[in-house]
Amino acid sequence: MPKFTPNRAFGRRSGTVTVIEAKVHRSSERRARFAFIIAALVVGVVTMIVASATMHPILAALLGVAVGGPSGALAWALFRIWPVIRLVWWWLPEIAFVTAVMYGWVQLAQHTPMWVRFVIVGLVVGVPALVPAIRRRLIALAWCVIVRHRLRVCFAQFIVANQSGSLPLILWARPTPVGERVWIYLRPGLSVADLQGRLEKIAVACHAYSVLVERAGEGNSAYLRFDIKRREVLTANVGTPLVDVVDPDTPKVPRQPATMPTALDLPDVADEPALAKAAKSAGNPNGKKPAASSADPSSTDDDINDWI
Amino acid sequence: MSSIARDPLGTDRVPVGPGLSMFDPMFVGIDEFGEAVFLDVVYRNLLAAGEPGGGKSGLLNLAAGTAALCDNTRLVLFDAKWVELGPWRHIADEFVGRDLDHAISVLRRLVTVADNRYQWLLAHERRKVNRYDDLSVIVTIIDELAMYSTVLGTKPQQEEFESLLRGLVSLGRACGMPVIAATQRPSWDIIPASLRDLFGFRAAFRCTSLNSSNIILGQGWAEQGYNAADISPTNQGAAYLLAEGGLPRRVKAAYLSDADIYAIADYAAWLRRPTTAAFDWGMAA
Ligand SMILES: Nc1ncnc2c1ncn2[C@@H]1O[C@H](COP(=O)(O)OP(=O)(O)O)[C@@H](O)[C@H]1O
Ligand SMILES: [Mg+2]
Repeated sequence: MPKFTPNRAFGRRSGTVTVIEAKVHRSSERRARFAFIIAALVVGVVTMIVASATMHPILAALLGVAVGGPSGALAWALFRIWPVIRLVWWWLPEIAFVTAVMYGWVQLAQHTPMWVRFVIVGLVVGVPALVPAIRRRLIALAWCVIVRHRLRVCFAQFIVANQSGSLPLILWARPTPVGERVWIYLRPGLSVADLQGRLEKIAVACHAYSVLVERAGEGNSAYLRFDIKRREVLTANVGTPLVDVVDPDTPKVPRQPATMPTALDLPDVADEPALAKAAKSAGNPNGKKPAASSADPSSTDDDINDWI
Repeated sequence: MSSIARDPLGTDRVPVGPGLSMFDPMFVGIDEFGEAVFLDVVYRNLLAAGEPGGGKSGLLNLAAGTAALCDNTRLVLFDAKWVELGPWRHIADEFVGRDLDHAISVLRRLVTVADNRYQWLLAHERRKVNRYDDLSVIVTIIDELAMYSTVLGTKPQQEEFESLLRGLVSLGRACGMPVIAATQRPSWDIIPASLRDLFGFRAAFRCTSLNSSNIILGQGWAEQGYNAADISPTNQGAAYLLAEGGLPRRVKAAYLSDADIYAIADYAAWLRRPTTAAFDWGMAA
């Protein structure tokens, strides 16, 4: 059975109206009605009380009705067009982008000759296409836009929400070195645990390698963060900023010259009888290192008794 | 002998470093989202474990490099293999090779210092050293811990080493004396769980089995999907990093090539050159 999407309730695909959609539709109507009554009442009463301080109570009541009525109507309208607002929010980047491009094009067309237009379009398209850093940045941004829609599709298509069909608010997204990070705000009916059980499906819907979800902060359990992974970074070699700290022009500190060790092959090392070994260590109570590498000047003559 | 090596309470402090401090979180690498991971090592201690070739010594060298460049920081190095931490021996206050007696005496000194520092804190009505105290940070780095606790020396020596180390690890964290250690498999004979749990940060590099992974990170993590045996053997330096209380995180440690290590060590030696005492290697030899 097809699940509802708010788009359908909004009438985009009116051919597939189902029982649930009718319910959703009715509930939206009912909420709008409630909003009308409550807004009208509250605004009306407040206006009446404030106004009655300066005018006759009956006049104040009339004023209250006059102000409360339109306020209620405004609230009703807001609730009825909420799906449109939501739609605009979802498509805001695209709407803004298209508007900007159209506006820019119209302005260009009005103020410049044809060849200038060609040059400008060539630059705007050519530079990002040719400079890899800009290109990668733009592609990453495009993925951010796409992934917001993909997440919305996930919520609408297979993540069971609440009875009224409200979807989580998909807030903003930004590129990360491995993919994207998207912040969302859950509506009643979902929790992190619900989403954690569906990460595989979400990854498929986002064309990603894997998806992780966790709380975005300590405080609010509705405020979540999706991490969408498209690339693996853990196989890369990681450098460190320590190397940049080094000033290549510093002079070298003089150092105790290292004595090159001898006896680097098995036949060079004689079989040492246990007796000789004991005698040697008695002669040199600090014989703690292979002589060749005793390069640490500070530790050669420690007297423990100084320290305990 | 150079004067850097004396007086662990830091009255002849190391000359000024380039503004780095061990009290700043240390950069260790990136997490699976490509974001930098920093560890607050001074107050925690760090244990790296995993199979040979996993990248433990790489992480230790990174820590040593960071400490080397930090202002007013002393290095105490234990490396039975000589070459892993050897590049830092010139700037270390102590470098312990294969001599367990030396290791024990150094640990004993460190524990005494820690003890004195707590007395000092008590006298100042405080519980924790911070960056504004005029005390040096003494970073103890031990590679292949098992060499000291099971291979070298005699049984009583090993036991003494272990108990002193336990003392240092548990005492060091609030008095600016962190311990960073690496071992292959912290099973009970090498590091008992009680000692393991004193290390606030634990990095599990690649392991051969689910059990080893659990031994490093703690019981039950592998079953929840945090299994260091899953790390590809060709991906050296990748690890699960467990910070106190949190979930293990997949990280990739930053890596210093040999050339980088020597460049940093030389630079650190220059920064730390004694400005008052004349250099006299003849005395040291
Ligand atoms: N963070 C890292 N990134 C890339 N390669 C690494 C990293 N750490 C270690 N390696 C590689 O793995 C090899 C073995 O690492 P090492 O630190 O000596 O392992 P372990 O001490 O665990 O036996 C190194 O020689 C290096 O080539
Ligand atoms: Mg090693």
